[in-house]
Order: sequence, then structure tokens, then C-alpha cells
Amino acid sequence: MITREVAWRVFAAEYNSSSMEMKGEEERAPSYIITPLGAMVNRLFVVGVMTDVENMGTTEEPLWRGRISDPTGTFYISAGQYQPEVALAMSKITPPVFIAVVGKSRTYSPEEGTMYVSIRPERIAVVDEKIRDHWVLETCKSTLERIAAVEDALEMESPSVEELVKLGHGKMLAEGVMKSLPHYQGLELDRYRTMVIDALKYLIPEYRIEAEVPEKVTEAPEEIEDEEKEDVDNEEKVLGIVDKLDKKGKGAPWDDIVEEAGKSGISKSELEELTNSLLDKGLIYEPVLGKMKRI
Amino acid sequence: MEKEDLAPHVSEIARVLGGKVEESEIWKELDTYLNHYRVSLETAKRGIVKKFGGDPGALTRGVRKPIQQLGLNEQSVDILARVVTVNPKDIEVDGKPKSILYGILGDESGTIPYTAWDADRLPLQKGDVVLIRNAYTKEWGGQPQVNLGSRASIEPQPADAVKLPEGAPRAFPDAGEVKVSQMRENMGGVTTTARVLSIEKREVEVSGEKRIVFSGVMADETGKVQFSAWYDFELKQNDLITIRGAYVRSWRGIPQLNFGERSQVTRPSIKFPTGAELAKAKARSIEDVEKVGGGVDVLVSGIVVEVRKGSGLIFRCPECNRVVQKNACRVHGNVQASPDLRIKAVVDDGYATMTAVMNRKMTESIMGTTLEDSLRLAKEAMNPDVIRERIDEKLFAQPVEVTGNVTSDEYGLMMIVSDAKISVPEVRGEASNLLAKLEGSS
Repeated sequence: MITREVAWRVFAAEYNSSSMEMKGEEERAPSYIITPLGAMVNRLFVVGVMTDVENMGTTEEPLWRGRISDPTGTFYISAGQYQPEVALAMSKITPPVFIAVVGKSRTYSPEEGTMYVSIRPERIAVVDEKIRDHWVLETCKSTLERIAAVEDALEMESPSVEELVKLGHGKMLAEGVMKSLPHYQGLELDRYRTMVIDALKYLIPEYRIEAEVPEKVTEAPEEIEDEEKEDVDNEEKVLGIVDKLDKKGKGAPWDDIVEEAGKSGISKSELEELTNSLLDKGLIYEPVLGKMKRI
Repeated sequence: MEKEDLAPHVSEIARVLGGKVEESEIWKELDTYLNHYRVSLETAKRGIVKKFGGDPGALTRGVRKPIQQLGLNEQSVDILARVVTVNPKDIEVDGKPKSILYGILGDESGTIPYTAWDADRLPLQKGDVVLIRNAYTKEWGGQPQVNLGSRASIEPQPADAVKLPEGAPRAFPDAGEVKVSQMRENMGGVTTTARVLSIEKREVEVSGEKRIVFSGVMADETGKVQFSAWYDFELKQNDLITIRGAYVRSWRGIPQLNFGERSQVTRPSIKFPTGAELAKAKARSIEDVEKVGGGVDVLVSGIVVEVRKGSGLIFRCPECNRVVQKNACRVHGNVQASPDLRIKAVVDDGYATMTAVMNRKMTESIMGTTLEDSLRLAKEAMNPDVIRERIDEKLFAQPVEVTGNVTSDEYGLMMIVSDAKISVPEVRGEASNLLAKLEGSS
């Protein structure tokens, strides 16, 4: 039976965490990347935002590389002279753009014990946001099924492909989970569950707005003044720190600001918000990358 | 290690070396490697083969397994089995004709389908007992299948080395109560309840004998199935019947329900979906259809991951309807070929794949252009392939819903599409529900 390899739906974060490969030895036996959640990926279908595309080769021997972001991370794709149609298509793309890719899994091991994964596209095409959103939902569902299969296997005294299939998991996934379990020790399933929750929120507009407007403003009106006052106080503190650390008048190094702010009880994420606000107000600026200076 | 344990390894080394080296010589070598140098058996075998100029890659790395224990992705495995059936088949691989064999292998533990990818090099005969080395398995319909590729070899074994259980391989236990969508080839003793959607009386010839058969389509809430009643149960359209003692045979992968004189048909008075409700195509996953090999009037959703070569504007021989290249038919030579449109799209839902074949009418309707338009466009571009490119641009990466009959062969599932549409489902509602479920449970 010459069956076509199925195109798995896997998020970048799961795919990129793979460190296990199963090489096909027979002439027609395919190779698979086994992901932490037991997907046996030979082919995959990905939709995301192409943020970056570049010819790393020459005009005669092109090697097109691109990055595709999904809600969890970045897929790396590359196409050379042996994929002329894909290379041509990539050369015509101006990022950012929604893109769909069907391709084969590839690995690269610069040294023993390290493995990087990428995709060798068979076909790419520009698509719209709806197709992307549909892919995110499908991939959430597919990831949840893998999480459930791993959980079931972990609960079994002596897990096996047969037992997993009995519980209703697909046979291919069951085999993948039996291979992934011993390899990926200390798997953090909660991390993957949170990843799916975040990806789902990405599809629901209300959550998108919440991510942009600080919760404090929407939730508790009485507290706004206090909060704002505290913010203003902290902004004063940060301005003081920038002044203090800007010894040569060329700006204060960011890392030093983080350290100093930490001493005043301002966390890094708070500091980022405060400096953004100060930048917006035009009180400080970035003379060079990684330095802050008062105006 | 005992001498008798080593004997198979010695004969294996001899096999890999193609009989160039005497077995006694190999015994001596193996003894030196194992007892003097104290290397592992694997290392010893590789070393000896290498030393005599053989290919260590041809040594078995796999272990021998009973059929029941074969996994879906064995990379290298040995199987001692009886060849239950052998069917020759001519296929094309990368444009070259090739003869292959396929059939069923059996041992004490069970049976399994196989494909031998080179009929000349691997001449299997029905009834042979063989030790197959370096086979691999692939998954089909959730079950493993044995493949004999370029590294595989076969060694004849005495006929009594494998004893098949009584009546094998067709010793299928009574399937009992079975829903329509679960019917698969070779099931026997099937009990099922379904409504007759259509029926016709036909005369057929079975082994030279004329027989009357009542065939049609029946359905339950899980799907539809073709049936053949070899006895006149006075079935009429819309009858709700329970059949006991039916059996399932497949035609091109499509399971078909058969029942005859020895089966019992009763007419239960129970609540059951109406004929109109059952007439609608039933949505099923590709994986589910794959498990049983095919189905009638099935609705499948997935993504178009490839628009295959041979899609678009094609030309057919007016004599035999074969697709012709450059007005030359393989059989009828130079002909005045007539144009046609078709789409062969690979539909993939992330769990399984299927080829969806659309005829001219379906192609025109999904593309919104006629055959005449396509001919004009191809002429303007001076390249018929532009039509395939247009189809690819329109369908690739799109979610589709396709309906039709699904058959299967060694290339997998194929649907002859009777209805198709591109449909991008709304995601927000489902995403919210899923999110509520997840956050509720954590």
C-alpha cells in the first residue's frame, strides 16, 4: 500500500521542541520527527504570518529561507533549486502576509545531541485571515487530542499502543506517544495546555482588546487615580535612574536600568511599561539601541 | 552462548555473503570474535561480513515477530509465515512499469496483508512457508501492512514450520450487532437494523448459473451501505428491517452487505429515522472511512493539500475515453481527442488523506468557468496547464466539504465527488466553547 503521509497540524512551539527523529531505512520507509506530544510528523500543514523571507543563496543557486509565525512561535522554512516552484513563489512574497504551507519535516543537527527542525515546503500560497484562524482552531483541537493521549498513557501502569487505541486514540498517535514517552522525560503538559488556551484566546476578539488595554482601567474605576499616581511616582523613579546612570551623556544602558529599578521594587515587566509610557510622553528617548536618555 | 543459538546467525552471515564462504569458516570466525575478542554478537556479525567483502547493511537488524505483534511502523522485521494468497499486479513507479505481488500472510497468531515490491526478486507462491527478512510495515486503515522492499529477502522453510489455525484466514467470528458505518470486509454473522432506501431486482450470473438478486442501498443513522439480497424477502423501498446472519464483502473497498436464504429478516416496529432523513449524506471522518475501506454517499471535510497532476484541461480518446497526450492514444494511436475537465485533489483532515476526483460538471461548478472558457484560456496562454494552475490557486489550502462514494485500492482512498463546496467555518463560537471547557476543567 502506497499511502500518502498525512499532513499533521502542530503548533510551532511543539514542533520546535522536538528532539527525536525516526529515520526510515527501507527504500519506501519514511522518516518521522516525533514531537513531545507524540505526533509522528513526516508532512505538515501550517498557516501563519510570513514575517521574513530572504534568499541566502545566489541567483543561480537560490536558497530561500522564511519565517512563519503562529500564536506560539516560529516555523522555519527553506526551499532551494530542487523546489523551483516554491522558491519562485517565495521570491514573490512581500512580508508580512498570511501564508499556507504544505511541506516535509526536516532536521539539522550541527552537533551530537542538538537537533533543529524546519520545513521543506512542497507548496506555499498566500491565504487570508479566515484560513489562518481556521488552522489555529484545528491545531488547538489536534494538540488537545495529543495531550489527552499522553495523559492517558501516563496514567497507565504499562501503557501500550493497543491500550491507547482501546481508549479511542488513533493508532498512529498511539504509536507516536509510545515512542515519545520514554524520550521526553518530565514533559510539562500544563505548558502545552496553556499554549492551547492562549491560542484559543487569540481567536476571540474580546481577548485581543484586553491584551492591549491594561486590565486596571476597565475593571476598577475607583482605583484608577491611585494606580495612576503610583505609576507617575514610579515614572519619576525611572527618570531618576536614567539620569543617574547616564554618566557620559550617551544614554543609560538598559541592563543597568533593569538592575537599578529592581532595587526600587520595580519588576522588569513594570519597567517596560513605564519606559514605554515615558517614551510616549517624550520624556526619554533611545539614542542607540539598548540605551535610554532623558530629553 | 550455545551452539544451537548461534546457528541461525551463521546461516544469516552465509546468506549475506552469498555462499562465497563456507559455513565452517564462518563458525571459526564467529567463535574468534565472540570468545577471543569478546565483542557483541551484532559487532561480530558486521565484522565478519565486512571482512569477507559483504554488505553489513544486509544483515538483519530487526527481530522476528509474530504477525499479531507487528506494529504500524516496523523499520526492519523478520516474519515466519505462510503465504495465504498471492495476486500479481502491474504498476507504474516513477514512470516505469513494475510487477508487484500482494496478498495475505498468515501464522499462528493471525493474518496480515502484504505487498512485495519486486515480483521477480521475491517470487512468492501460494501455500509457501517462508522466512521473510528485513520487511517493514506501514499503516493502512489503522492496521499494519507488511512491505517487502529492496532490502527484504525470503528463505523457503519446511511446510510444517507454520501451522495456521483451523479455517484460517477466513475464520472470522460472528460480528454480531453492527452499525452500517462499521461494516468491513469479511465480516460474517452480522446483525443489523436499517431502512431500505432503494431496491431493484436484477438477474446476474454467478459461476455460470443465473440467479436473481435484489440489490440497492439501505441506511441507518451512521451511514449508507449497498446490499444484495440473494433470496426474495419481498423487500420494498422504505421498509425497516433487521437482518440476522448477513455477511460483508467489498467491491473496490466499498463494503457491501449480503444476505440470503440462511439469513433471517424481520420487520421491527421501533422508532427509526425516516427515509428522507436517512437520504442525506452522512458526515464521517476520513479515518473512519479508511478503517472500513470505503463507503456510499459519504460527506467528508478537510483541507485541499494538493491539486494533483492530471487535473485541469485534459484530452480523451474518442474510442476508449483514456486520457491522451498530444493527441496520441496508448491503444488507438493518433486520434481526434476531445477535451474534458477534471480535478484530482488530495483532501487531508490532519488524521488521514483521500483523493477527491471531480468530473467536468463538478469542476465547472466549483471553478465557476465552463469547458469552453477553459479551452479559450488555455489557447490564449498557449498552455493547457494554466487550467490546473488556476484550480490549484483556487483550492489549495482551502477547507472543503465533498460528498460521494469512496473506493480504495493500494494507493489509498478515492472519492468520486457528487457534490463539493469550499467552506471556511466560523471559528469564534467553537473557540469560545472550547476555551470555556478548558478553563472550567483547570
